[in-house]
Amino acid sequence: MSGRSLNISRFLTVRAAIVAVLLLVVAVLPLFVTGTDARYVLKVLTFVGINVLIVTGLALLFGYAGQVSLGHAAFYGLGAYASAYVTATLGMPWFVGLAAAIAVTALGGLALAVPSLRLRGHYLAMATLGFGEIMRIVFVEASSITGGPDGFSGIPLPSLGSFVFATPQSIYWLVWGVAALAIMISYNIVSGRPGRSMRALHGSELGAMASGVDLVGLKVRVFVISAVFAGVAGSLYAATVGFVSPSTFTFHFSVVLVAMAVLGGTRSLAGPAAAAILLTLVSFPDIVLPGLSRDILAVVQDWEVDIYALVIILVVLFLPEGIAGAGRRVLGLLRRGVVEPSGSDSGTGQRGDEA
Amino acid sequence: MRAARRTLLALTLVIALAVVPLAGCSSTDGGESTDNGTDEAKEPYRIGAVLSMTGTYAGLGEPEKNALEMEVARINEDGGVNGHPIEIIYEDDATDADTAVAATSRLIDKEGVLAIIGATGTGGTMAMRGEINRAGIPQISPAGGTVITGDFDPLVFQTPWSNSLVVPYTLDYIAEQGISKIGIIADSGGFGADGLAVLEANLADAGLEAVATEAFNAGDTDMSAQLTKIQGAGAEAVVMWTAGKEASIIATNMKDLGMTIPLYGSHGNARVEFIEGAGAAAEGFRFAAGKILIPEAYGDTTEAYQVALDFIDRYSAEYGKAPDTFAGHAYDALHITVNAMSTLDEDFTAAELRDAIEATTGFVGIGGTFTYGADDHNGMTADDLVMYEVKDGTWVLAE
Repeated sequence: MSGRSLNISRFLTVRAAIVAVLLLVVAVLPLFVTGTDARYVLKVLTFVGINVLIVTGLALLFGYAGQVSLGHAAFYGLGAYASAYVTATLGMPWFVGLAAAIAVTALGGLALAVPSLRLRGHYLAMATLGFGEIMRIVFVEASSITGGPDGFSGIPLPSLGSFVFATPQSIYWLVWGVAALAIMISYNIVSGRPGRSMRALHGSELGAMASGVDLVGLKVRVFVISAVFAGVAGSLYAATVGFVSPSTFTFHFSVVLVAMAVLGGTRSLAGPAAAAILLTLVSFPDIVLPGLSRDILAVVQDWEVDIYALVIILVVLFLPEGIAGAGRRVLGLLRRGVVEPSGSDSGTGQRGDEA
Repeated sequence: MRAARRTLLALTLVIALAVVPLAGCSSTDGGESTDNGTDEAKEPYRIGAVLSMTGTYAGLGEPEKNALEMEVARINEDGGVNGHPIEIIYEDDATDADTAVAATSRLIDKEGVLAIIGATGTGGTMAMRGEINRAGIPQISPAGGTVITGDFDPLVFQTPWSNSLVVPYTLDYIAEQGISKIGIIADSGGFGADGLAVLEANLADAGLEAVATEAFNAGDTDMSAQLTKIQGAGAEAVVMWTAGKEASIIATNMKDLGMTIPLYGSHGNARVEFIEGAGAAAEGFRFAAGKILIPEAYGDTTEAYQVALDFIDRYSAEYGKAPDTFAGHAYDALHITVNAMSTLDEDFTAAELRDAIEATTGFVGIGGTFTYGADDHNGMTADDLVMYEVKDGTWVLAE
């Protein structure tokens, strides 16, 4: 029996080691991007980090709490416009813009949480879809604040005090640093009591309520956190690109985000993050395959939406648990391999699937 | 066993998805692998083109790209510039400002272009400015908003007649028809919003009054509500300012509403798709634009006439239809850039190219005769304009 706990602690150590290695890889990657197109490559990798940040929030909402949002692009946009308005129009420092983005998206999350208390499944999906569309129209029509269909330009780079994140490397580190922080916060949430409550809610709303889970508080909190992550991502995006327009924050982007969350799998943070990396890079195949001809590039870009759709269909058909589910199975097989030769307790490995 | 097989299947799927990005992650620092340049040919001069091949300006982007492709082929057949061939890298901005910015960023950071032609629309052109300034390369826009050169930037040039030329010309013409009250309908973004501002600034000078001012968004499919308001306000003419495909919907809506007051438009409507889209509703529509549509307007002894005829002949032979004004704007943008390059040393910098473009003097193009200056990056005059009318499904010169 002590062998089993030993294996589990070894497993946790292995996991910590993997996380440390991944962090290191992400941190030092910019040092190895040195080609003539380094700036472009780093910008794309920064976009990847921004999407990882949003999808982490969606993983909490969708993957753990089981609440569908088809309007997450709206939070991303709210954060971007709030931050842009505060920094460019009002001339305030970037962290004030960030704070504004957090405040506005928290309110937005609250607004969307209220219908979610009464709606479930398809109806909740419809409500969030409506919210996203309403916000898109607001971005177009509130042209004195948002710049209307022409967009909002001249947004300053992110800065802290007198330090300006001017180089592509520094922006990359900022964005990935924030994304790592968000993942850490999320990990703390899901591995504690709120995480268990969220999983209970995912399983059965009635059951969770009967077990004494504070559904109202839980739903409101998870919606707000998820919205705030998207808002922070929006603030980073606006400052990185220097320009925002309503066409970035459409239903299409919300669907892409859901595709990432679905491919990533439920009850996992690593899966959705991996899916966000993979699917974001689909839009930039020339980063991945530098020699790719422009004709092929154009074809991939034309079929981008179809690729996303295909991914969702294939995942739902063959991999309903997403990348996370596949990862869990692999880990389960590995652990069985670790346990079986030495251990007498052959049942241990089977239970790994539930971890 | 079954579980294992399913795991295998799942793994294969994940790996298949993962393999594409992973394959290249290590080679991202591989840098530029330029096309297999033969030994004797020099490295091409790269120019980026951000054009709207899709979206509401697709009808403008297509002739622009046609003209660029045809002219680049001809320039390269003649030996290029200083022995360097010209290479144009095309990006489609989907008539979307945000995509235009991303495309510009890619052209600069990935392709290392020396100059950028674009964007097709005013909104896209303005949105690109941040990236253009960061890179310090010249931008030559084929879009017609006044703001492009009015909101002056030393790096940004423009080939069409801007709204500040076309609007007064059009308003004066309308006033000469004995009209005093007009209703305005403009699209809410880019070229339309820009035109509306210039219209409002010039109404008084022309002795006109706007009794109704209405807006619509790109992608709207029915403008009857706005037109009904204009009709109800007692307008004697409708002035429409947009370059989008919605123009033909407005003309059709007017006919359906039984409105008989004349419809005036802008140089953004000088496209065959408008006449095709609006059909009979296009009859009587008037707009000011350059002379390429009816080259006799240049005066048949002028150099401009010869340049235009040559372009029309070659374009018609290549694409089976006559070029419109937008093909002309792209032609002008390319030749102004290439002419400027040919005045410089082989290894010129972006700043030198900018200075050389600004020094363009008396270039006889399709849109007119260009002379840029330190505070004029439009280079056109109202003399380059003429008023057209749609009659029997084609353009004729209006009296």
